[in-house]
This record gives sequence, C-alpha cells and structure tokens, in this order.
Amino acid sequence: MTGFASLLPLSLLVLGAISVLLLATSRKPASSAVPGLVALAFLAAAGVSAGRLWGRRAQAFGGQLRWDDASLFLTFLFLAAAALTVLLGIRFVAYHRMPHGEFFGLLLLAACGLVIMTATSHLLVAFLGLEVFSVSGYALAGLKRGDDLSAEASIKYFLTGAFASAFFIFGLALIFGGVQTLDAARLSEALAGPGANPALFLAGLVLAVGGLAFKIALVPFHMYQPDVYEGSPTPVAAFFAVAPKAAGFAVLLRILLPYAQAGLKKEALFGGLAAVAIATMILGNFAALRQTNLKRLLAYSSIAHAGYMLVAVVSADPAGLLFYLTQYLFTGLGAFAAIIALGGPGRETLELDDFSGLGRRSPWLAGILSVLLISLAGFPPTSGFLAKFYVFSAAVRAGHVGLALVGVATSLVSVYFYLRVVMVMFMREPGRDTEADADNPAVHLVLFLCLYAVLQLGLFPGNIVTLIHRAVASM
Amino acid sequence: MGIPLLSLITFLPLAGAVVLIFFPKEERRRMLILAMAFALAVFVLAVLCAVRFDGREAGPQFVEQSSWLGYGISYHLGVDGLSLFLVVMTAFLVPLVLLASQASIRDRFKEYLLFMLILETGMIGVFLSLNLFLFYVFWEAALIPMYFLIGIFGGRRRIYATTKFVLVTMAGSLLMLVGIFVLQGAFAKAAGTYSLNIFDLYRLTLSPQTQAVLFLAFGLAFAIKVPLFPFHTWLPDAHVEAPTGASVLLAAVLLKMGAYGFIRFAFPLFPDAVSRFGPVLGVLAIIGIVYGGGMALIQKDVKSLVAYSSVSHMGLIILAAAAWNTISLQGALLQMINHGLSTGMLFFGVGALYERTHTRMIADFGGVARKMPVFAGLFLIAVLSSLGLPGLNGFAGEILCFAGIFSGHPVWAVLAVTTVILAAAYLLGMFQKVFHGPVVQERVAGLRDVRPIELAVFLPIVLLMFWIGLFPGTFLRKTEATAARYAALLESRRTSYVEARRPTGQAPASIAGSATERKSR
Repeated sequence: MTGFASLLPLSLLVLGAISVLLLATSRKPASSAVPGLVALAFLAAAGVSAGRLWGRRAQAFGGQLRWDDASLFLTFLFLAAAALTVLLGIRFVAYHRMPHGEFFGLLLLAACGLVIMTATSHLLVAFLGLEVFSVSGYALAGLKRGDDLSAEASIKYFLTGAFASAFFIFGLALIFGGVQTLDAARLSEALAGPGANPALFLAGLVLAVGGLAFKIALVPFHMYQPDVYEGSPTPVAAFFAVAPKAAGFAVLLRILLPYAQAGLKKEALFGGLAAVAIATMILGNFAALRQTNLKRLLAYSSIAHAGYMLVAVVSADPAGLLFYLTQYLFTGLGAFAAIIALGGPGRETLELDDFSGLGRRSPWLAGILSVLLISLAGFPPTSGFLAKFYVFSAAVRAGHVGLALVGVATSLVSVYFYLRVVMVMFMREPGRDTEADADNPAVHLVLFLCLYAVLQLGLFPGNIVTLIHRAVASM
Repeated sequence: MGIPLLSLITFLPLAGAVVLIFFPKEERRRMLILAMAFALAVFVLAVLCAVRFDGREAGPQFVEQSSWLGYGISYHLGVDGLSLFLVVMTAFLVPLVLLASQASIRDRFKEYLLFMLILETGMIGVFLSLNLFLFYVFWEAALIPMYFLIGIFGGRRRIYATTKFVLVTMAGSLLMLVGIFVLQGAFAKAAGTYSLNIFDLYRLTLSPQTQAVLFLAFGLAFAIKVPLFPFHTWLPDAHVEAPTGASVLLAAVLLKMGAYGFIRFAFPLFPDAVSRFGPVLGVLAIIGIVYGGGMALIQKDVKSLVAYSSVSHMGLIILAAAAWNTISLQGALLQMINHGLSTGMLFFGVGALYERTHTRMIADFGGVARKMPVFAGLFLIAVLSSLGLPGLNGFAGEILCFAGIFSGHPVWAVLAVTTVILAAAYLLGMFQKVFHGPVVQERVAGLRDVRPIELAVFLPIVLLMFWIGLFPGTFLRKTEATAARYAALLESRRTSYVEARRPTGQAPASIAGSATERKSR
C-alpha cells in the first residue's frame, strides 16, 4: 500500500496531463480556463499526496524511487512553479492562440519529469526524469506555432538539450564502468572499494556534471538560454527559469554532497566548479548589462543567479541552496509574470522603452516589479538578500572568501541593470502607452503571491527554514 | 514596560507608508496630514524616549531582543548615548521636511511622502540596531527610498546622480557585508556559538591581519557614507540634484550614519587596526576639512557650496572620533547633531530661495535681505551656527571636538581649526553676496518674505540651535556615560589583546570575556 501511496504524486501528474489533453480534444477551444483549472486541481492533489509522504521516507520500485524530505520539498517547489505557470498561461494561451491542451498537459508532464529527477538517488532514473522533462520542454518552447522565434527556440533547445543528454548518459556509462554502480548515495563508498577505476569515474563525473550544467545553464553551457527564453512563450520561459534549475541542482547536490562532506573539497572537481561559479556570476551579470529586451535580461539574470546557487554547492551548504531556490522561484517567476501582465491579445511588451513611465500608469504593477527586481539585486529586506546572505556567509565559513567577494562584486553590477528597469519605470517620462492588462486576474494573483513570498521569505522565513533544515537532514 | 517603544519609533513611519498606499493620489492635503501625523507621533515617542533615558547608564536602554533567523541573527534594538540624539534629530527633521515639501513638490506628492516615511524607518533603524545583521538590513534599506527621492524628484541630472549615489554606496556596503561574514565566522570559531550582537562582538579579539582587513572593509563603507576625502565624489552630485527635503535628510542623517558606523562598529571592533590606520584616517579627515572648505570657497551654486561645507564639517567629526577620548567623542556626538541642524536649515533656506527664483547661482542674487528681512535673519543664524559662533550650537560642539583632539593630537587640532576659518570665509562670503548689496536682479526685486509654513519649519530649528548653544549640558549629560564607556572600551581592548597574545602565542581569534563586561550589557 505504501508503494501505491508513494506513486500517487507522479500518477496524479500524469493523469492530469492526460485529462487535460482529452479535455482539449472533446471541447471546442472556447476557453482555456477550464483545462487550466483542471491542471491546477491535479497539481493541488499531487501536492497533497506528496505532503502525506513527508517524513516517512517512502520508497517504490525497490528503492529506485525514494522520497526523502529533500525530494519532497523540491517536489513542492516544482508543483508551485507549475501552478503559478498555469495561472500565467490561462489568458496568455488564448491571447496568442496557442493549443491549450498541449500547453497545460505538457507542463504537467514537464513537472512530472522534474519530480522524477529529484525523487531518486539512482542516476539512471534521474536521467529518465531529465528526458521526460526535456522532451516536454522542447515542445513547450515551440508552442507558439506561427512564431519564428518560438520555432527557433524549440530547435535550439532541442539540439543543445540532446547534446546535454548525450553528455549525461555517456558520463553515467563511464561512472558505471568506473565503480559498477549508479546509486549516487553509494558512489563514494564504491570508489573506495576494490576494483574501482578512479580515472574513469572522474571522467564520467565531469561529463555528467557537464550535462547537468546544460540544464542549469552554467557558463560555458549557457549560450542557448537567452535565445530560448526570448523565443519561448513567456509563461514557459518563466517555468524554465526556475524549475529545471532546481532539479539540476538537486541531482548535482546528490552526486557531489558526499564528497564535500567527506572533506574532499580540495579535489580538482571542486576547484573547477568554483571556477565555473565565478565565470557564471561574472558573465551572467555583465552580459545582462547590455540587454534592452526584458526577457533576455531576465535570462542572463537567471544565469547569474545559477552562479550564486553554485556557490552554495561548492560551499557544501544544501540548506542555503534550497532557500535560494525557493526564493528564486518566486522572484524569478514573478518578474516574468510582470511582463505577461503588460501584454494583451496577440502582443507582448518586452523592450525596456515600453516600460518608461509605467510607474505612473500602473503603479501597482510597477511597484511589485520593482520589489521583485530589488530582491533579484539582493537588497534587504527582501528574500533575495537573505538568500545571498546565507550563501555567501556559508562560502566564507567554508573558506571561500574569494567566491564571496566575486559574488558581492557581481551583485553590485547587477544592481545597475535591475535598477535601470526601476529607473525607466519611475524616473522617465511616459513614452508609450503600455498599461497593465486589467483583464487578466490570474496574472495579478501570481504577482501578489510572489510579492508576498518575497517579503515573507525576506522577513519571516522561519517556517520555511525549519522545513529546509529537516529536508537537508533527511538527505 | 510592556510597550516596545523602540520598535514603535522604528516602524511607525513604515506603517504610515502602508496606510498611505491606499490613498487616492489627488488628496494632497489629507495625505500630508496623515504623513505628518505619523511623523509627529514618532517624534513625540522619540522625545519621550529621550526624557526617560537615564544618562548615567552607559549600556543600551529600552532594549528589545528576540531571536529571528538563526546564525546569530536576532532582532535586537536598543538606544544608548551614541544613538539617542541621532534618533531624536531624525524624528525631529522628518516632519519639518514633509511640511516644507508640500509647496515644492507639485507632482507625485504621494510617492514623495511614501518614500520619505520608508526612509525614516530605515534611518532610525540604523541607529537603533544592536545586531550587525539588522544594522546592515536598515543600512541598505535606507538606500532604496533615497534612490527614488533623488531619481524622481531631482534636478536635470538626477538619474546620473542617483545611480552614482546608489552604486558607490553599495560598493562600500557590499565589502562590509563580506566583513560581517568573516566576523560571524570568527566569532563562531572562537565562542562555539553564533552571534552578531554587537556587544558580544566587542569581546572578540582577532589577529592584527584580520583586524586590518576587516577595518578596511567596514571603514570603506563608512568612509563613503561620511564621506571622507577621496570617497566624496558622489556627494556634490547627489546634493545638487536632490530635492530640498532629500538634501536635508541626506546631509543631516545619512552622512551621520557613516560617522556613527565608525564610532559604533569600526573603531571598537578592531582596536588594533585603529592604532594602525588611525593616523591615516586623521590625515584623510584633515585633507577633507581643507579640501571641502577650499572647494566650498569657489562654488558658484549655493547648494553645492553647502554640500562641500558638509565634507569639511564631517571631516572634523571623523577627526574627533579618531582622537577617541571621552571629550572628543562627546564633541563628535554633539557635532553630528549640530551639523544636522545647521546644514539641514541651510538646505531648507536654499530650497526656499530656489522655489521663488528657480536659480541657486550666487551671482543671480544680491540684496535679498532687503526684500526678505526675516528670512535673511533666520538664514544668518544658520550660517553663524554652521561656522561656530559662541552662543549657538556649533560652538559648543566644535570646542569639545577641538579640546578632545588637542589632548591627544595637538597638531591635528591646529590643522583642524582651519575648518572654522574656511567656514567663516565661504559662508559669510556667500551670505554677503546673496543677501547684501544693491538689488540688481529683477527676480530678486519680486521676492516675498517667509510664508507661515516656512516659518514653522525654520523656527523649531533655530530654537534648538540656541538651546544647544546655551545649555549644551542638557544633551551632554545624556551621552556622557556612553561616551566614557566607549572611550574606555577601546583602551581596554587594546591592552586585553596584548595580554591575550602573550601566553598563547598567535591565537587567530579569542574571546575576551570579563565578568564586568558581561554584566554591563
């Protein structure tokens, strides 16, 4: 019976995807609200069924699927991200004449893939989840069918994603050759055992981490991301910005944490990761300086934030990483929501100039977007500051003062381009007559939820931090 | 007592801002009344706090403490002699700023009031925080409203000025943030538990190298804010572009945050580094005094003249802090208030002139006193207070500063006296050119004297100037015990480090925990 209960979250997601697809074929595509609400209902049900597993260390398929509290915590993040994306999509799908069955269905499947990725310590199962997510993701990116940019995004995402998958699976093959197991929890033990081939193992590890770095979009595997974000339907871009990163980091953490805890930080691998983190922070932030398209700016911003999260991995601070991921879910997604709130039937406002004087026309929207951007820049008392505080203080405690210095220096750079958006909204005279779309209550709900989350996590994150510590303890 | 007095003082303005959000933006009058009501309530509470404050007690009073985020981060407020009058001054100036701005801010008044109230919470929070994390939160949070105030309501080059202000200030604070991490880690290593409580950290003894690095990290953040000589470039830009109200608070309060930071954090936390870098700081302060005064002499714009005079005056305050004895600390504390009042009033005056004539160039005026006799008289009082005329507040502060500096560093004191000479030169020169002489300009001929609202802004400040000038004891009594305690703190920490080093050799960090020190918190 526990086997069934532990499969329930995944089953519900798949069932939801199928129902939404069937619903789309049977109904005239008059309204996208119905499939959206159905998707939300299934996401909620999956959340409840996952919640019942909390603290019980349930397993299925002979331990291949393993629900420790960390994977459950991340599952909640994915479900929340998917739910917020559904809310963002309800009107967007209709405005841009996208097939709504596919949109909501694929979204649920993508979330399902991410859940699989985190709910296992077996790397082959993680690969399975990665592929489930990726295949849904390629289709989601290209869902604006008439749009060239969307098609380009889909192709780019597919090609680079295929490369990444190949890297990852080849890495797994080498790891298996090296230590005869693919269970992340047993890797270091097997490596110390007889018959292990450390060189082969290390080569495999580097390749596997490289494959994950593609999904997380760490430098130098980040190139596809701005194009993909720009071309993808905006709600999809919002989902891509937050959810796959979390899953990628979860797998990364599962592979690497045993080494960090065993005191093997001096290994070349961690030096390499620190270098990648530095390059990601620098490149992401500096490249964002030159962007005038808000979607591209947020794409580079999400690259930069992945760099900060990697600092947490290098410093062996899983709690800091989980907190960062949690708060970034709301800040990152909320910023995209603000773009969607400015759109309307068949049009989107993405250029920075479109935002000039927005503070006068739509003060609420401009105000919320400002708070989110200030959180992305890392000003207190928002959650973005607290996340950086946790991560960088962990880095200093772990002896990586240099990483923390690069982190704060690049944060300073980021202040410039985030505040530039705020400046355009509040300090420039109104140029164009873009206004918040009053006819899109779901998006405004998302914005307020994100605002609330940013302040709650920035000021009183007590409960979430307690959950995170319990999740980390169970890993 | 059950009422969290300090929390009320800190967060009441923010509550006012939240209420204000829901007002329709056409109702200027009601919004002003609401904002004023909140700001005045804060002032009343701050005065209440000052009255009930026991000057014989050196430790913080009205302390509120509760755990918050772990890793030594707690919500910890308290007021002592260092912060008491800075808080009162902030609470005193904000209502005046709000009142004065109702004529000058024509557009987007709601946002102006909103950011002013948020700014007040940030400023007061900085002074009341006794936890390093909380301090940093308020320190940074105060930046954002000022960014908007300058950026939305400023002059022609406002966006350049405000961006520069934020980025330069941020650059310093972020290094301080890394410094806080290092301090946090060092304390955890030495004590076994996390704490960012400032009085716990005072007991931490670090190796000289660590102290030097941390002192530079903290010192840079504070030096930029003060601003000390080579880091002052953001100040004239920000001041000239900022609207009057923001200029007043920038000069009166935000600059004090830097000086306060030195006295509260940088000096007592890193005593060894102070003896190393103290002379450097003194030299920079003296350069600032002379350079700021010299630059003020050649300014054509009254507002940038006042801005550069701030660089000069703040130099004296830092010099007094660097001399670090009871008298010089008392002087620095009093002078911070004095500078806030006199410079604040000067900026109010410049604002009043600008509102009438839309120019701030000295050459555009002349003979203003004939048209605005009352205004000229009030302005003269501010000028005289700023240059330290006996009987006014500036004198009381400066004499203490000089006496304190002289007892330790006679040469510094002699060089620092130039601040008075230069101030007399540029302020009186400006006053003469603007207010005296024949009325040549057409725009001056049509000037009208002070309005009642302006009088309501100027008079309380003038009153306070005389009060501090004639009866400085009222204020010094409250700060004396704390000043003496801090003066002794640095001395005892220097010696305790020497002792700590002798038996154990090179301990990277250790806790000097005497029972008396524990008791005093």
